[in-house]
Amino acid sequence: MRIVVADDSVLFREGLVRLLTEAGHDVVAAVGDSDALEAAVGEHRPDLAVIDIRMPPTMTDDGARAARRLRPAVPVVLLSQHIETRHSVSLVTSGGFGYLLKDRVLRVDDFLDALHRVADGGSALDPQVVGALLAPAQRRDALSALTEREHDVLALVAEGHSNAGVAARLHLAERTVETHMRGIFQKLGITDTGDRHRRVLAVLAYVSR
Amino acid sequence: MTGPPRPRVLLPAGVFAAGAGLQVALWARPERGEPAPVLAATLAVLSIPVLFGCLVGWRVPDGQVGAALAWVGAAPAAVFAVEMWGETDLTPRPWPGAHILYGVKLGAWVWNLAGFAALCLVFPSGLPPGRRWRAVAWTAALTGVAVHAVVSWTILARQGGRPNPFEAPLTLAAFGGLLAALGAVVLGPVLRYRRGDEVTRLRLRWLMLGAGAVPVLLACGWAAQTWWDATPEVAYTGFLLAMLVAVPAAVAVAVLRHDLFDVDRLLGSSVAWLLTSVISAAIFACVGYAVGGPVGAGGRLGMSGASFVTALVLLPLHRQVNGWVGRVVDRERHVVDARLHRFVHAVRDGTAQPETVEAVLRDVLADPGLRLLVRLPHGAPGEYADPSGAPAVLPPDRVSVPLRTGEVEMGAIVLGTVSARRLRLAGHAAVQARLPIEVTRLRLELRAGRARMLAASAEERRQLERDLHDGAQQQIVAAGMRLRSLQRRFPGGSPEHRDLDAVVEALEATIAELRRLAHGIRPARLDDGLAAALHALVAAGPVPVRLSVPPDVRVGEVVATTAYFVVSEVYANALKHASAGTVTIDVADTAGVLRIVVSDDGVGGARGGLTSVRDRVTSVGGEMSVSSPPGGGTLVEVRIPHAHRRGR
Repeated sequence: MRIVVADDSVLFREGLVRLLTEAGHDVVAAVGDSDALEAAVGEHRPDLAVIDIRMPPTMTDDGARAARRLRPAVPVVLLSQHIETRHSVSLVTSGGFGYLLKDRVLRVDDFLDALHRVADGGSALDPQVVGALLAPAQRRDALSALTEREHDVLALVAEGHSNAGVAARLHLAERTVETHMRGIFQKLGITDTGDRHRRVLAVLAYVSR
Repeated sequence: MTGPPRPRVLLPAGVFAAGAGLQVALWARPERGEPAPVLAATLAVLSIPVLFGCLVGWRVPDGQVGAALAWVGAAPAAVFAVEMWGETDLTPRPWPGAHILYGVKLGAWVWNLAGFAALCLVFPSGLPPGRRWRAVAWTAALTGVAVHAVVSWTILARQGGRPNPFEAPLTLAAFGGLLAALGAVVLGPVLRYRRGDEVTRLRLRWLMLGAGAVPVLLACGWAAQTWWDATPEVAYTGFLLAMLVAVPAAVAVAVLRHDLFDVDRLLGSSVAWLLTSVISAAIFACVGYAVGGPVGAGGRLGMSGASFVTALVLLPLHRQVNGWVGRVVDRERHVVDARLHRFVHAVRDGTAQPETVEAVLRDVLADPGLRLLVRLPHGAPGEYADPSGAPAVLPPDRVSVPLRTGEVEMGAIVLGTVSARRLRLAGHAAVQARLPIEVTRLRLELRAGRARMLAASAEERRQLERDLHDGAQQQIVAAGMRLRSLQRRFPGGSPEHRDLDAVVEALEATIAELRRLAHGIRPARLDDGLAAALHALVAAGPVPVRLSVPPDVRVGEVVATTAYFVVSEVYANALKHASAGTVTIDVADTAGVLRIVVSDDGVGGARGGLTSVRDRVTSVGGEMSVSSPPGGGTLVEVRIPHAHRRGR
């Protein structure tokens, strides 16, 4: 994949470039602020942009704002230092977007998998964010009717995984996952369209309302 | 305001001119009476009230004060002319009609009072005090006619050798009527003073100042005539000058420029000096008599003793008298003193807030536009604050009374309405209210200092949090990435591969710990606003939370951080100790006060554990109350004012 990396920390940026290069990707540009990012994206038309949410000049959410401007032409993965649900959920529901904590890059395989999903038009939501969304205090409703296993399946779907991905992670047969999904959708009252992306949307829309 | 003089001023002016002309013509006759300087002096003195009258009549055409004032000079001028004309009857060559006028002149003196009576009736508004006062005016005029007639008739009858048989009862009735009428007329200003507004009172005080000299100088003249055998001309000159110069001048000033000088102080000082003089004279006389008498030496010893004692008591006496007189004459200042005194006491007793001093000053000085501005020690030159702490500048177009403690400028009282008297009263009030003003200033300074400190500490926390996230955490992640990169060189399943896995996991744990630490210093969620941060806070909790917070709540960094910690602490407390089933968090922002109520349905009976929360709330000027009956849940209410608070 041709990737543009934007992060103001040189150390992190270099590390990320090396990691992506070693994984066989082509980092076409590595920049340090949102203006340079937009210029680089305009020049290279990459398959994916990996962007730090906090960048100069304001050091608040320049990355997120740049991401909004780039999409949907370019799939974007936002990297953040902390868990928050405001930017993430609203962007994730439109596809071609990922929101991950920065230390997620240390789980190299998961991280690369998430990049691929997003570049393919899917989504990736950090497990910790999903955890916050599915936290018990929020769930005074039908979610509490889910079994533990159904809950695990739902969390992985919300992270952006396909049935196959969920099955691999939970060491289940894919058909079992499908059965769980049907159960979940039935309990939550969501129509299962079978389309992976729309399914994530439905789940996220449900859990974040 | 200006315009041609109305006929009502022209009439007395014409009468004065005619009277003066007649007097000059009569004086120019061969058998002249008084020497020329006396006539000239008389006419000059009489012209003064007429000129003042014309001035007042010209500047204030509506109203009759000008005319009344002119009559003060015109009436005597006419009377004197009639008297001189009538007296020609006694000379070899009388003027035509002198015989009749001789009779008329005998009682004409009564009209000398006409101007003063008119003045009493119409001063200071220009109209009689009421409808019924027209009757008083007519009664006074009629009694004047009666007295005139009775006096003339009686004297003529006596000179004719045929005494009037009704002399006694008629005289008694006429003079009694006149006295009653004059009494009623003099009552007019007294009533006006009691019922009048501030300006009316001020004007009447000017009249008092002018008229007060009249009886004093009359008494002096009388004394001079009795004890020192002064001629009437000399003895009563002062009295006449007071009548014809001091009173008209005072009236003119009162009508035209009642704010010209501080009349209260003038009046107060005059009266005080007068009383002091009288009392000193009495002491002098008593001591002189007491010492001189027994010793028998008379003269010198008594004199020196009396002088000594008088000199000794003069100054303290004057100070004392000044105080008494001030209380009576300068009533306003006395009232201002008393009310401010009460306020200062109330502040001391804790029943009044020193910050209300501005409202009290407005009220006491009857100046709704008054503003109190204080200087904060850290403020730049020319920078002030109002009592609520909002920054302000001294309006350049308004008059202000500076407040000082020694060399330090404390602030200023900016007046809404300005006059010499108000300036003096305000200066006086500033001294009386110095203590509450200073307390207000210091409390503001304390608050401002605390706000500065909190803002600085909030900024430090923000910086520290940023340093942790953007510095340490990033570096650890970067190091972790290098390890992952290194790990690729070893085959999966090799001991090195596993070791590196463990090291990276340890790094991940460190990052999680750092994140937790940074969050404790300052929740990064606050970047998205208090509402978002609170939603995120309760999202991960184990019990259902009903959170109600306006999504657009806008407070500064300090208040937002405080509010966040209040909620998180109280919420954690409810989870930890109260065994709560549900927690309700209600945040509202009304009128510049952020109100946070956290309640649960747990076991209640909470006592300790919230001290740190209370400290934190108090440190930003907020207050906190806890209600936690055993078995009845816990309700914590926090109010944090955040208007005027600077900082982000």
